[in-house]
Amino acid sequence: MDSRTIAFIIRRAIYAVFTLLILIVFIFVLIHVIAPNPISLAKIYSGVPHGSLTFYAAYAKTHGLDAPVYVQIFTYIINIFKGNFGIDPIKDQPVITLIGKYLPRTLEFVLTGIVISIILGLYTGAYAAARRRKPADNTVKGFYLATWSMPTFLLAAVLQLVIAYDLRLLPAINMVDPTLRAPPDVLAFPILNALWARDWPYLISLIHHMILPTLAIALLSFGIITRLTRSTMLDVMETDYFRLTLMKGVPRNKAIYSVALRNASIPLVTYIVLDLAFSVAGAVVIEEIFSYHGIGYYIVQAIYNLDYPAILGTTIIIALTIIVANLIADILYGVLDPRVRLE
Amino acid sequence: MTDASLPAQMIRKEKVKKSNRLIEYIKLMIKDPSAILGLIIVVAFLGWSLIQGTLELFFGTTGPAIALLPHDPFSYNLPMHLHPPTLTYIFGTNTYGEDIWSRMLYAMPRDAFISILVVLSAILIGGILGVFAGYRGKFTDETVMRITDAFLSLPALVLVIALSVMFDETLSGVILALVIIWWPIYARFFRAQTLRIKNLDYVQAAKLNNVSFTRLFFRYLFMNSLDPIIAYAALDFGNVILTYSTLAFLGIGLEPPIPELGSMASNGVGTLPTGWWYAIFPGLAILVIVIGFVLVGDRMQDIISNRINY
Repeated sequence: MDSRTIAFIIRRAIYAVFTLLILIVFIFVLIHVIAPNPISLAKIYSGVPHGSLTFYAAYAKTHGLDAPVYVQIFTYIINIFKGNFGIDPIKDQPVITLIGKYLPRTLEFVLTGIVISIILGLYTGAYAAARRRKPADNTVKGFYLATWSMPTFLLAAVLQLVIAYDLRLLPAINMVDPTLRAPPDVLAFPILNALWARDWPYLISLIHHMILPTLAIALLSFGIITRLTRSTMLDVMETDYFRLTLMKGVPRNKAIYSVALRNASIPLVTYIVLDLAFSVAGAVVIEEIFSYHGIGYYIVQAIYNLDYPAILGTTIIIALTIIVANLIADILYGVLDPRVRLE
Repeated sequence: MTDASLPAQMIRKEKVKKSNRLIEYIKLMIKDPSAILGLIIVVAFLGWSLIQGTLELFFGTTGPAIALLPHDPFSYNLPMHLHPPTLTYIFGTNTYGEDIWSRMLYAMPRDAFISILVVLSAILIGGILGVFAGYRGKFTDETVMRITDAFLSLPALVLVIALSVMFDETLSGVILALVIIWWPIYARFFRAQTLRIKNLDYVQAAKLNNVSFTRLFFRYLFMNSLDPIIAYAALDFGNVILTYSTLAFLGIGLEPPIPELGSMASNGVGTLPTGWWYAIFPGLAILVIVIGFVLVGDRMQDIISNRINY
């Protein structure tokens, strides 16, 4: 690794830290704009909407909410980096523990769905680009436009209605058969826990319940991946090296799927992050419909209860996840494609 | 030809040329069948929203405001509850026996209003900050771009949820949250455009002519950056409607008894195995509207970036 790559990585890392800080400061400022005095601040941070005045005053005093703003912002940032997002007043547990419990469940099916949609999307995108302006291309285009413009709840509701209720192939709601006993929580991810404990019925039930949400995520992000792959493929197929490959006598199909597609999939790493951001947002609605108790379910419960610590905590954690993913993707992209580093 | 008549003629010529350009633009637009479909959907949606929206604004939920709808969207009709689609109730009825199609029609103007408001405010805010960043460069540029980075790297929905919850889940809070999330992408676009045009001759000429800063800013930089951004904005109306309906689905920003497409779908999901029409049709309506905007926006982008030459 030469010094230029290292400088590139360091610059990206600084950008990432900046991004996170800007976001935290923004949220902090916003809280202070809507809650200008210590009492209303205590109302937000404690997460208790209808407490007594003495309770709020005591809370403000113990948590330093009457301190000057510059002191408060430092404690706020330090608390966030310590993982201290406050106590969820409804479940009476630290928000960070709850996020640690719910986030892996979501990542489990979101990541699976993304992997599926990337494999499908890459090939469909390449297929459409190879048949540009032919009926096949238009069909693919129509399909991805439809999945892209579709509200997530419509997609999830149709899947649930047709596959679970009409055909009775898969369970419609819940994360696992509620009559089964959960294996001990060792590895955070339920599937890994079940594997660790060798609890096969539990594992099968988990996978059984996971298929529909995964399918919904895959269909949702299929549109993005296909669209991006198609346009990158069209660019690659205009290049000289691709023409040369054809002229050398390499069969067209081989040229498309192994030469062009391989080059077109370098930006794949950036797609994954884009897609991750998109899918996490989609997961909120999908989990609500399938009663899948992940981070989305937690967010929706917090919305119903006006539970500020939970909302702020999840937002920052999701932001952190995506910023870190972005950083990794940027660095990978720079390593894979040296032209990017020269910006 | 006298000298005095020359400028007048030039001005007239200019005007003729402009109207020609618009007609050419529309001609190019309707050469593509999918764009015609999109245009029909968008015009129908906006036209209906204009008429019905005006009535709702003046009459609320009674009298002329519901005169155009096939049924009264607010009258309970319990014997007819969860009635499957028939000729009288073309999309069926909900759990209270209210007509779903009438409620969808009643809800549409609000989506149109919110999407237009959010996109226009985003263009204005993003435009001013983006042009400013691109024009001034250096530290201003770096600051604005880092802020837009922070917003753009996150899923919009999650941030919008956090903000609208902080604004007490009211409708105006939702709109405010949407505007806060929506401007950065436009700031990006405007900055890129400004960087492209700020060193062109006509801007330099304007500076030499001592054009005031405001005029330079709005007439020369802002207005001339607008072209490609309008194409994106056309597509973006659909995105706002999607996000807003998702918020409504989660129960944020509702004002009962006013119906909302997203919240209708959310209530419909609760009745799912039997009342499928309640969950599916409001969602389908959103799908159709968004596809309309996407088709129009795609075509506009193709025309503006000169990707089609016929």
